Amino acid sequence: MGGGLAGFTAYATLRHGGLAPAEIAVFGTDPDPASEWRQRAAAIRQRRMRSESDGHVAPTAFPGLAVRSAIRHRDALPLVQSLFDRYHPSVADFLEHVAEVRERSGWDASFRRRRIGAIRAVDGGFELDDAGTFAHVLMAPGHPGLAFPEGVEGDERAVHSYQPHDYAGEIEVVGAGMAAATEWLNALAAGAAVTSVRRREPERRPLNLPRELFTRRGLRGFHATSKEQRVGLLRGWSTPSYPSGRDWDEPLERARREGRFRILPELNGGQQIICATGFKRGFRNDSLLAALVDIHALETADGWIALAPDSTVPSLTDETRTLSVAGVPAQWAFPAADTLAGHKYAARRFLRRIRACRTR
Amino acid sequence: MSYTLRGRLETRLAGSFVPLVAACAIALVLKSWWPVELAAIMIGTGLALDAAIYHRLFSYQPGWLAFPQALLELGLVMAIVFAVRIASPLDFAVLFFTGSWLLGQVLVHAGFPVARLSYGEDGGELGAAGPTVASAAVAVLAAAAGVAWATQPPTVHLSAGVHQGPLLIDHSQKLIGEAGAVVRGGIVITSDDVTVRNVAVTGGEIGIQIDGAENVKIEHVRVSGTSFDAIQARRSSVTIRDCLIHSPVGEYTQGIDISFGFDLLPSLIEGCTILGGREGIVTHFANVHIQDNHVSGTTLRALGLTEMSMVMVEGNDVQNALGVGIYCGDYSECMIEDNVVGGTRPDMASGDRTRLGYAIVAHSGAKAEIADNELSRNASAAKAFLGARITAE
Repeated sequence: MGGGLAGFTAYATLRHGGLAPAEIAVFGTDPDPASEWRQRAAAIRQRRMRSESDGHVAPTAFPGLAVRSAIRHRDALPLVQSLFDRYHPSVADFLEHVAEVRERSGWDASFRRRRIGAIRAVDGGFELDDAGTFAHVLMAPGHPGLAFPEGVEGDERAVHSYQPHDYAGEIEVVGAGMAAATEWLNALAAGAAVTSVRRREPERRPLNLPRELFTRRGLRGFHATSKEQRVGLLRGWSTPSYPSGRDWDEPLERARREGRFRILPELNGGQQIICATGFKRGFRNDSLLAALVDIHALETADGWIALAPDSTVPSLTDETRTLSVAGVPAQWAFPAADTLAGHKYAARRFLRRIRACRTR
Repeated sequence: MSYTLRGRLETRLAGSFVPLVAACAIALVLKSWWPVELAAIMIGTGLALDAAIYHRLFSYQPGWLAFPQALLELGLVMAIVFAVRIASPLDFAVLFFTGSWLLGQVLVHAGFPVARLSYGEDGGELGAAGPTVASAAVAVLAAAAGVAWATQPPTVHLSAGVHQGPLLIDHSQKLIGEAGAVVRGGIVITSDDVTVRNVAVTGGEIGIQIDGAENVKIEHVRVSGTSFDAIQARRSSVTIRDCLIHSPVGEYTQGIDISFGFDLLPSLIEGCTILGGREGIVTHFANVHIQDNHVSGTTLRALGLTEMSMVMVEGNDVQNALGVGIYCGDYSECMIEDNVVGGTRPDMASGDRTRLGYAIVAHSGAKAEIADNELSRNASAAKAFLGARITAE
């Protein structure tokens, strides 16, 4: 369930694992799996991915995007950059790769244009509205909606960074994460004066989270935490961040010297307010997940559904059926669940579950 | 990649499986254990570094880090190979390490991630296959070690007292002498993989004669009273260590003569003391490493390296030779470094102008590279004759 990148990554993984298109049903609203992501990237004028060579949707890590780029352009530079974690594929290359995998995987043959409103556990599987009963379901509902700072939504000066927008002469950008940093640079390049409105200083790191949290080395400790500890960790890791490096710092420093970039803790009456504040958080903001939790009395913690380490819903998963979660609602299992690496994490464990199922 | 400890070890062992099998195959072809020993040192060094250093130091390791790690591991492996005297040629060892490392990189970046989708997320762990492959690698290593142990040559203990020679050793064995064991009339070795240790040899034409044998070790022997050669190796590859050769009988006696084994693995003469005789150490058409020996009182040359030999002469102490200290002749190539040559006297009676008490002579198209030698109290220092060349670093 879910026709975005998380669902698409899972689909490619299942196909690699030997499932035929006829064995898989994808429910979504747009047959282009990159549709929403493409619009958001275009809105903030993103040109390079934050992810690295292995930030792709193909089922196997190899060949990564650096290898593909090196072969396509007959240029070893991406491989060298990749050795030093300096390779970040262009958005165009990434979208082209998504299109290739879509074509190759048979995605369109499995895609059904339909929004699933409710999911219920029944004997032998899960009932998705009246679309049928399925033994194994992966829910990838995506982000539940754009988040605006309190009191700003409805202000005619305000636009969310992920909505199409131009730049006024004086801009206030709320937030300090990757989207905000991208907006600062793009607005400055367009000649605007930018005020960064933030109450927390961003962390500077190459990926959304420390690298060891993308592998079992960091996850083992994470999975061993108590409920309270895990909530604390996830909240701590929600601090905004963007990569370090001259490409980010020099334009800001130059603009600061020119008096075109400043930092304030509050809005200050700018011509335009860009809300780079990400997405609403928590399962309560997603009607499908909220209903699932309420109907089946699922265990939750703060805004998270308490998932098993393999990203499944423990009380609804057994040897005969699987209910798995991918994308941002799967942070309880994988803190970077809303990244391509997170999509693969859920997808690979979903495939493992299906393979292990005797009744499949 | 952020490896778990188990992931590092499984990846290391799985990546070592093919090189280990290859080493076993090479060992079978060469009929020698050093390829397996080399592979075992390589794997053991890697595992030790994984567990003791890499895992603690690198919670995440970018791709480039593999290069300095490889250099560190290569350095350690070669140091161990030299320290425990594995008979592996240097170029083979470096090539084997490099090939194994490249294969490992291909497996880490391509092979394992394709074979196991979650390889990266699992921190390099290989799932159910991990213990299997790791066990297989350990099993191959253990089997090789077991076979090596089981096929060790038998040890023969030579009791104290005088044993009438010549003793013929025509199958592999270790001949270990008890304190006071003496062989009168010589020892003849015609088999590979023979060790002779702690034996005194007296009398006869040749004290210890090695003929057509490889991987022969002569250690802690004393040879005296021979009339031709104290130790002679023909068409052989031999390691002679910590020997004492003295009291030659006759005008033409040589200390150690290694000849006609240029195409075999290099021989080593190390830590020997040779007193008197016509020549102390002689090579003809051989590849020999001569180091840390003491040679004194010879009447022709202390070291005679000739007939297209390739010789490294290093750290030796050559004293009181008549005519010539170190001689590199007849198109041989000699590297002569860090030696002490002193008290070489001119041999006026010979009427030979090349024997006027030179510490070092290159003769007849030979090339001698000399460096850091201490030449003192010699009648002359170094000179080249008849198209030979001496170059100093």
